[in-house]
Amino acid sequence: MEYMVEMRHITKRFPGIVANDDVTIQIRPQEIFALLGENGAGKSTLMSMLFGMYEPDDGEIWIRGERVRITSPNQAAGLNIGMVHQHFKLVQNFTAAENIVLGTEPVKRLFGALPCFDKQQAEQQIRDLSHKYGLEIDPAKRISDMDVSARQRVEILKMLYRRAEILIFDEPTAVLTPQEIRFLLEIIRELKDQGKTVILISHKLEEIKQIADRCAVLNHGRLTAVRDVKDTSTREMAALMIGNELPEPMEKKEIQVSREILRVEHLTVENKNHLPVVRDVSFSVRGGEIFAVAGVAGNGQIELADAIAGLLKAKDGGIYLNGADISQFNVKRRIVSGLSYIPEDRQTTGLVLDFSLADNLILKKYGREPFSRRGILNPDEIGRYAEELIGRYDIRSARGKRTLVRSMSGGNQQKAVIGREIDLQNPLLIFVQPTRGLDIGAIDKIHRQILKEREAGKAILLISLELDEIMKLSDTVGVIYNGTMTRISDAKSLTADQIGAYMMGVKGA
Amino acid sequence: MKKGKHLIQRGLILLLGNEKTQPITLPLFAVFLSLLLGMVIIAVTGANPVNAYQNLLQGCGILPKPSYAAYKNSFTDFTGFLNAWTPMLFASLAVAVALKAGMFNIGVSGQMLISGFMASILAGYADGLSGLTAKFLVLLVGIAVGMLSGGLVGWLKYRFRVNEVVSTIMLNYILLYAVSFCIHMWYINPVSRQSAPVTQASRLTLLDVSAGGMKIDIPLGILLAIGIAFLLRFLLNRTTFGFEIRAAGKSPEAARYAGMQVGKNMVLAMMLSGALSGLAGVTYYLGYFGSIRPKVLPAVGFDAIAVALLGNSNPAGVILSSFLISILEKGNTYMSSRSGVPGEIASVITGILLLVSACTGYIRYRINRLKECGPNTEEKGRKGRRGEQSV
Amino acid sequence: MNRMIIDGLAFALPLFIMAVGGIYSEQSGITNLALEGFQGVGAFTGALFVIMSADVLKPGSLPQILLAFAAAMAGGAVYSLLHALLCIRFRANMVISGIVINILAMAVTAYLTKQLNPLLTGAPSDKFQLGVSMRITIPVLSNIPVLGVVFKDLYLFEIWIVLLAVIAWFILYKSRFGLRLRACGDHPQAVDAAGVRVERIRLWAVLVSGALSGFAGMCFAYSISASFSSAIYAGYGYLAIAAMIFGNWKILPALGACLLFGFARSGGNEIVLLLQMPGAYADLVMILPYLLTLLLLVFFSGNNQAPRALGEVYEKGKR
Repeated sequence: MEYMVEMRHITKRFPGIVANDDVTIQIRPQEIFALLGENGAGKSTLMSMLFGMYEPDDGEIWIRGERVRITSPNQAAGLNIGMVHQHFKLVQNFTAAENIVLGTEPVKRLFGALPCFDKQQAEQQIRDLSHKYGLEIDPAKRISDMDVSARQRVEILKMLYRRAEILIFDEPTAVLTPQEIRFLLEIIRELKDQGKTVILISHKLEEIKQIADRCAVLNHGRLTAVRDVKDTSTREMAALMIGNELPEPMEKKEIQVSREILRVEHLTVENKNHLPVVRDVSFSVRGGEIFAVAGVAGNGQIELADAIAGLLKAKDGGIYLNGADISQFNVKRRIVSGLSYIPEDRQTTGLVLDFSLADNLILKKYGREPFSRRGILNPDEIGRYAEELIGRYDIRSARGKRTLVRSMSGGNQQKAVIGREIDLQNPLLIFVQPTRGLDIGAIDKIHRQILKEREAGKAILLISLELDEIMKLSDTVGVIYNGTMTRISDAKSLTADQIGAYMMGVKGA
Repeated sequence: MKKGKHLIQRGLILLLGNEKTQPITLPLFAVFLSLLLGMVIIAVTGANPVNAYQNLLQGCGILPKPSYAAYKNSFTDFTGFLNAWTPMLFASLAVAVALKAGMFNIGVSGQMLISGFMASILAGYADGLSGLTAKFLVLLVGIAVGMLSGGLVGWLKYRFRVNEVVSTIMLNYILLYAVSFCIHMWYINPVSRQSAPVTQASRLTLLDVSAGGMKIDIPLGILLAIGIAFLLRFLLNRTTFGFEIRAAGKSPEAARYAGMQVGKNMVLAMMLSGALSGLAGVTYYLGYFGSIRPKVLPAVGFDAIAVALLGNSNPAGVILSSFLISILEKGNTYMSSRSGVPGEIASVITGILLLVSACTGYIRYRINRLKECGPNTEEKGRKGRRGEQSV
Repeated sequence: MNRMIIDGLAFALPLFIMAVGGIYSEQSGITNLALEGFQGVGAFTGALFVIMSADVLKPGSLPQILLAFAAAMAGGAVYSLLHALLCIRFRANMVISGIVINILAMAVTAYLTKQLNPLLTGAPSDKFQLGVSMRITIPVLSNIPVLGVVFKDLYLFEIWIVLLAVIAWFILYKSRFGLRLRACGDHPQAVDAAGVRVERIRLWAVLVSGALSGFAGMCFAYSISASFSSAIYAGYGYLAIAAMIFGNWKILPALGACLLFGFARSGGNEIVLLLQMPGAYADLVMILPYLLTLLLLVFFSGNNQAPRALGEVYEKGKR
């Protein structure tokens, strides 16, 4: 058996796009095979077909030298294929054990007759399994009480529980700290040593360089290259991935910071259950400064941004914008006072998906002249303004200002949000995860945009889970852990590893 | 066989495929389909469906009947139809406004009942009022009471997160029994077992007006209803208030993020919806009828949900769809007397129409898929369907 | 006092079993406002069976009652397929689907009752006349002081409801099927990735809600109204939904809520009788359960946690 997995001439179409166009990949037993490409290149679609979520329109799949048809995840599991999805597929109010055994639950007979789910046995099995592979978890703990990396371990155990031999990881490191990433890569290497075949979907070239044996590069649904990793430089991989020259390296100008624009003092925010999620946080941001908040997902950074923007009520503390206390203002008054906010979730928060592009572009301005007068909207002015922004921020869509935002691509949706917020011409800009889910080209444009606003003297609060992004853009870094700002430093004085340590709550690193 | 399927698919794409005209063609298709199903049901009962539908139209004065009673002709039938249409139009607008704001007002019936009842006792039973004053008072009370009862629902949702579907239904029953209690205690007409009739002065429909040798019922409310429908259209599409309501309806989170006061708008939208229900109530109980039957919720309030859905919650669409449903409801008496089809068939057809219109989203989806993938790949495409393009 | 407990239970238990059906459906992720329609169609089918079998089976006999309940469950289940079809296959808005199904149920059963009555009974009527189900008193247990009254004058169906509820509880919380069902309402993608067909589980869940609601509808037809007519659509289904919401989508707390409704109603009736108030006051008593529901909703809605994926149309492959 030369190849463990072969996907031959796979084509998959979705309405409007060809997600995979005649892709052929061959994966050897016990190798770590990386699948490389930008967002939207078709990596996840290709792997979803191997995992039985979709069926290819054309092409063949061969496993261990035999042709197979995989129509469901169940069948994939039967062929010993397992997958850790980018967005974990875990039932929040179930325990780890319940999640892992779901679908193949151990059964005991109550009173010798009634079949019922055997929780004790499930937990014991999971405990044994987790010891065997060194993946520590508490099987009886609820998923909702676990942190991201524990959840990921649950996902990995889920595959191993099903005796998976071919393991697919979809962007596994996207949400982890450098230390956790190292630990994960260690585990993956270990799994390989135990005889597993690993497929790694990623766009992080450094990691691929570290652990993968070979890599295949996808671009716009087509396979552009298959290379041995040890003979290929990361620069070369990047060029293959984008399909043309890399963007110019970005230049961050030295500029003089001006006066303080945002000051947060002893801010405390509670969640719905009255538990503090932001604890006594203080910091300030000056004009021309990018203040980045680093932290593992779920440590209070989103709540911090929401509280500053007025979407969440602060329990305690002060928020000063240009010296004025805005902590008692409602959302609208904060916007008018000079606060622009690019929220984490552009689809549910930042945009009204079923509104036209034009209506979304005036979402914060509809009440001002000339867009409305005495409560009556002025469609001509709105249309003119929308076209202006569409041109200035290069927002592309099928029907211009009349396009429903739902039908636009993620990158263009984000351009619309950013364009609208920047054009409010406010001194403070809050960016939360501004490049999430976007491809390299779009990320590059947005990064340039952020730097341009910095040069224009704006105060920028950047909240990101991507350490790369923080290292690239920030002037000052504040690390948030468990709701507390544990460290605020000049960005230049910290390495990514140090930030990572703080993100995991290590003191005195 | 296979070829036939292709032809049908082609035909459907041709008819319904244009995305710009879909808001009109799809409801029409739903209506067509439901009427077709209705015909089948009528045929099963042994009647002639074409005649039955003809009778429906005749009952509403849209087609001429073969013979008329004294002082009646098709015009008097038509004004009689307008009389029944008026509350239906108001009620449907009430549902539509709430839907635009993202809420289901299932409580239109209860709001109609309490408004009609309050208007009856505050203005309908008062002697010595001039026609103009009495009618003005009736409208005022109807609007005010409807506003309060609708606003209560909005407030409960905003303040206590009470799901409006459940709260409106509970309120329906509470109001039903409360009004029934009051009527039985104080306002009962022992002969008709209904509430005592309201004064002629307060009736919103002028009864038996003699003109041209005919005795005509003139429903004053219909002009108001159509006028308000257009006003509403302007309010929703061209004002900042409408913009905020629509934003909150499509995405409350985004509306809040944009600085709109979603809670306040929710209450305001429900007040507006309630006010329209109130107008429906007074045109129903003090226009179409002159008294209230205890322990019965007006079916209009529920049919209005169908009408609003069918009309895409769009005031202009609602005018058309309520017109249609009113024909079914109003014409069925004549139909059952002429062709022996039970009058309940009208509600069955309305029910089917509702069912089909609940599926129009899916029909649209399938048509658009067919169009993009072509009929041949349709089956394959279904297997790999997915919600959005990502990664 | 005894009367109040006996009547209260007779009203509360059918509500409860309907709420259990609602919990099944909503825990699987399908919003279900259609309980009202299911119970009506169930009662219709059961009543139709009673009328049609009148020549074969002795009216009011145990086999007839048993089979009538079976027919009601079947009727409710078959009709619930419509909700499943709309919500699962046609991806309609689940709230709209529920309301539509209730309206259609009322229209169709009223129409059919009117159409069928002349054929079956020879008399034009919009009602199927039924008797009242037999009542039994459990010996020994009913002699226990104070609590014994619970076992007195029970309708047969009350005992069956308890049995059904125990089975439903066991399946939902102890079986594999129940585990998967609850997973569907929280994270259907996880269930799909585990190789379990989400659509199929949801279909079963809706069918269970239809069958249990049909059973409950027949209880009302056999007790409170002693007939089937449009009067069966008195909002019992919505009361059950309210009970489910206070019960935080869990079976035992929902039972508590139903008992509260039942006793509020029977207690109110008792007071009207006791004080010899005129008949119109019965209307005021009827308000009590609905008013109580609304008040409880005000207090409990804020803290409740609905199933996470409730009302979400599941599309395979959506991430």
